[in-house]
This record gives sequence, C-alpha cells and structure tokens, in this order.
Amino acid sequence: MTTLIAQLVNGVSLGSVYILLVTGFNLVLLVARVVHISYPHTVVLSMYAAWYGMSLADNSITAGVLAAVFTGILVNAVMAPIFARFSHRGVQADINSTMVVSLAIGLAIVELLSHGFNNGFPVSFSGFFRAGGTTFGTDVLHLSVAHLLALILSVGLTASLFFLLYRSAWGRRARAVAEDALGAAIAGVPVALTQRYSFLIGGTLAGVSAIILAALLGFASSTLADLVAIKALAVSIIAGLGHLVGGIAIALALGILEALAQGYLGGTWANAVALVVLLVVLLLRPKGLFGSRL
Amino acid sequence: MSLSLYYFVNLTAVHILMTWSLYLPYRLRRLHFMVIANMGIAAYAAGYLTTVAGWPFGTILPLGALLGATTALLIVPVTADAPPFTVAIVGLTLISLTTLLIENSEIFGGTLGLFGIPSIHRDPSAGRLLLLAVTWLCGLAVAAGIAVFERSRWGIAASIAFVDRDLAESNAVNVRQLSFFVQLAGSTIAGIAGVLYAFTMRGLFPGFFSFRYLGVLMTILFVGGYTTPWGPFLVAPLVWGIPLLLPEGLQSWRIVLYAVALIAVLMLRPEGLVTRDLLRRITALLRRPQKSP
Repeated sequence: MTTLIAQLVNGVSLGSVYILLVTGFNLVLLVARVVHISYPHTVVLSMYAAWYGMSLADNSITAGVLAAVFTGILVNAVMAPIFARFSHRGVQADINSTMVVSLAIGLAIVELLSHGFNNGFPVSFSGFFRAGGTTFGTDVLHLSVAHLLALILSVGLTASLFFLLYRSAWGRRARAVAEDALGAAIAGVPVALTQRYSFLIGGTLAGVSAIILAALLGFASSTLADLVAIKALAVSIIAGLGHLVGGIAIALALGILEALAQGYLGGTWANAVALVVLLVVLLLRPKGLFGSRL
Repeated sequence: MSLSLYYFVNLTAVHILMTWSLYLPYRLRRLHFMVIANMGIAAYAAGYLTTVAGWPFGTILPLGALLGATTALLIVPVTADAPPFTVAIVGLTLISLTTLLIENSEIFGGTLGLFGIPSIHRDPSAGRLLLLAVTWLCGLAVAAGIAVFERSRWGIAASIAFVDRDLAESNAVNVRQLSFFVQLAGSTIAGIAGVLYAFTMRGLFPGFFSFRYLGVLMTILFVGGYTTPWGPFLVAPLVWGIPLLLPEGLQSWRIVLYAVALIAVLMLRPEGLVTRDLLRRITALLRRPQKSP
C-alpha cells in the first residue's frame, strides 16, 4: 500500500511535468503550425543550462532557475524565425518540413549535450535539486518539496496559460490564428507576431519544466532528451494533436502509469512499459482519443 | 583493397539502401522512421543466428528481408492510413523500444553489444570481397525495383498523392494501399540492410540503431533530394565520406554538421540538390543532337 501511494505521488508529479511539456508543444503546434519535435530537447538543454548556471554561481538555485528559463526562451526565440521560413505567406507552415527541421535541431542539441557539457557525462544537480528537497508527511504518504513544486507550478502555469488564452487580447489573436490563420490575417491579426509570442511562451514553459524535471530526477543526460521527446510527442498524439485539455489528461495518466511501472518493475522496464502502452494506443487510435485540432 | 576503403564502400551501399528504405514511403509524405528499428532487429537476429546457431549468411540474408517485412506487417496496416506525424512518432517509439529491449537482453550482449560475427568465407579477405559484391548486387536489385516502381502506374500515383491526396483519390488511386506497399517495401529493404550491416561490421552495438543514425539518413535523403532515388545515391558517399576527412576533433561533431547541412538545404533548396527538374535538364542536354562542324 505504501509503495502504491508513493508511486501515485511520484506519478502525479511526473505527470505534471508531462502536462507542461505537452501544453508547450501543443501551443506552438496550434498557433504556429510547427511540429516542434525538438521542444523536449529544449527542456533538457535548459536542465543543462541550470546545472551550468549553478556551477558558475556557487550552487545558487536562483542562478539555476534563471539560466533554465532564459535558455528555454532564448532557444525558442532563435528557432521561431527558422520555422517561419517554412510558412507560406506567413500563415500556413509546411508541417513535414518543420518536423524534419525540428528533428535536425533536436539531434544537434543531443550532440551538443553529449560533447559540450561535463565531458559528455550526465550532470548531477547538487543541494535542493539532488534530493528534491526536504521530505515530509505521514508514515504512508511522503512528499518532497520537488513533488509539491511540480504540482504547484504545473497547475499554476497551466491555469495561467488558459487564462491568457481565453481572457487576454493575445489569447484571442492566438485562438483566431489557430482556428484559421488566413482568415485571422485578413481580419488584421498580426499572425507572425502572435506566432512568435507562442514560441516565447512555449520557451518559458520549457524552462520551468526543466527546473521541475531537475528537481524530480536530480540529474540530466543527453539520452534523457530523446526519451522525454518520445513520451511527450506520443502523449500529444494520443490526446489528439493540438488538444490542450486532452493533452493534460493523457500526460497525467502516463506519469502515473510510468511511476507505477517503476515501483513494481524497476527503472528500465518502466520505460519499456510506457513505450509499449504508448505504441499500442497509437496503433489503436492513430488520430488520438480526443480528436485532432489540426 | 584496403580495410578502410572496404568499410567505406560497403557501408556507403548499406546507407544508400537504408536511405531508399526511407525514400519510398516519403513518396507519400510518410516519414517511416520504423526502418531503423527493422534494421536493428534484422541485424541482431543475423548476429544471433550466425554466432549461436551457426546459420550461414546465404540463409540469413533472405531471412532478414522476411523479418523486416514481418515486423512491418504488425505496424504498417495501421500506419498506412495514419497521419504523417503519427507515422513518424510510431517510428521513433519503435526505435526507442527496440534499442531498450536489445540493451536489456543478455543474449544480445546488452549495452556492450554483440560481437564475433564470422566472415562469410573461410578466407576473411575473400569474404570481404564476396560481401562487397553481394551488398552492391542487393543495391542494384533494389535500384532496379525502384526504377520499375517509378515508371509504373503506382509511381505516378505516388507523385500525385505526394502533392494532393484528394486529387489522387478522386483519380481512383487507393492511397492507403499504396502507402501500405511502400512502407512494407521500405521495411523489407531495411531488413536486408540490417543483415548486410551485421556481416560488414561483424559486431553490433545497440547505440548505433538510434536517432543519430536516423539523422545521417535524413541528411542523405533531404540534402540529396527526396524527389528522385538518384539524390541519395549520389550524396550518400559525400555525406558519409566528408566527415571522415575532417580533423579528429571535428569528427565527433559530425551530427551537428549534418543537422546544419539539413536545415540549410531545406531552407535554401527545399527539394534537395538532385531534383527531377535537374535530371530532366541533364537528360535533355545528353540527348541534344551534336552539331556537325
């Protein structure tokens, strides 16, 4: 029973990271029509940036957080004009080309992480990030600061994003572009600018996801990027491409499934179980459970 | 023939085969990344059957093709009609899953790899020449098959479906069936390439069948040009060979160089270096009657 509860807590925390990842991915997909396969790679790059920032600033958590968020935003800001090259008249991106370009960017990021940091070895976070912070709770339920951080940040940021989408001027423009980019352009919506903002918001989410992932795992490695990428992308397809609410539900379910498999089968097989389940669902419902928004 | 030249020539042929296995499904805009998993499965099956069971190369090669096709048959009936993005992600998931399973299987040597694959002939140097001949013959056979496909009704239908699926379907093209066929063909070619790779390297490492290798193939396909099979054929030796000429310090960054080349070509020359238009012009130039003096 204790294992079950502990793994459920872990699962919800892990699911929270997937929620942020999938939400950031879907936002860019819906607004900019870019299949940003390298988005999870940006997250892992931001984890490395946090490690680098902390090692420069005497393990300062603030430095790590700032480095991660700055890197997430910067990398997405640099990528936005590259992807913009593949949009026709600024309103409709060639999805296949953006997918290939994004894949190339992802490969370059993995290579950079394999050679450019810590002589290619995985990086380990110190202090708070190593153990996920203080653990507290009862005999049955143990919670670490990292678990709480994951939950609070994930709920807070997702709620903020939805507020932004449904209650702000940018959100109205973003929804208009997602619905019909050409129609939005004719109506005077600055499509390119709206799409660039989606990249910046996606970058912020990537940076925050990196912090949570660093706190939960306590390490980062170049191989982590590909594994996280597969899971995040598979979740977004299973939910239905661009389906924000569906993405949240499936991300949470995957986190719980993975944590339960980890608790009962061990680390390596947990990944295998997660991948098999994702594959089976992908094959049974290739267009997603909630329907694609593209 | 020196050993390094042998590896270069033979692996170039394997890469060309693998790129063609990606090229065929991309004729319908499907990034059938599953071929890397097909290659890995066939290579490891070949390694296992020859080292443990002592099966000869001649039996294993057709078995590789069969294995590629059989594993594809489990997936392709679904991906034949799935959206392009789903096909790509199913492929990436299968690559991860295959690598993960191989790394955790002791019979395949785990993360250390599977070694001791014998030469296909008692005399290793004769074995190398024989394998070289078999590899290039396989390449020629696949090239002939692709040439027949390109000129057939299916090839023309694929060209139409690449531009506009609805238009193809309104012209009675069964796009799903066509997609099924090209993905199955791609996986079968990858199975053959896997066996050839195993016997060329005579040792297998699970990390090879990964996204990095996918990056190499994508670079060959998109830099060479995805509209004709000639692009991969002409560009594979360059893409594969140029990094070998780089200083040692830069060689480990070759994937970054591939990624930069891939992005640059997609931005500046989206159809790649060898396009149908280029081939048409070259053909016209060659057929132009020579003026008498």
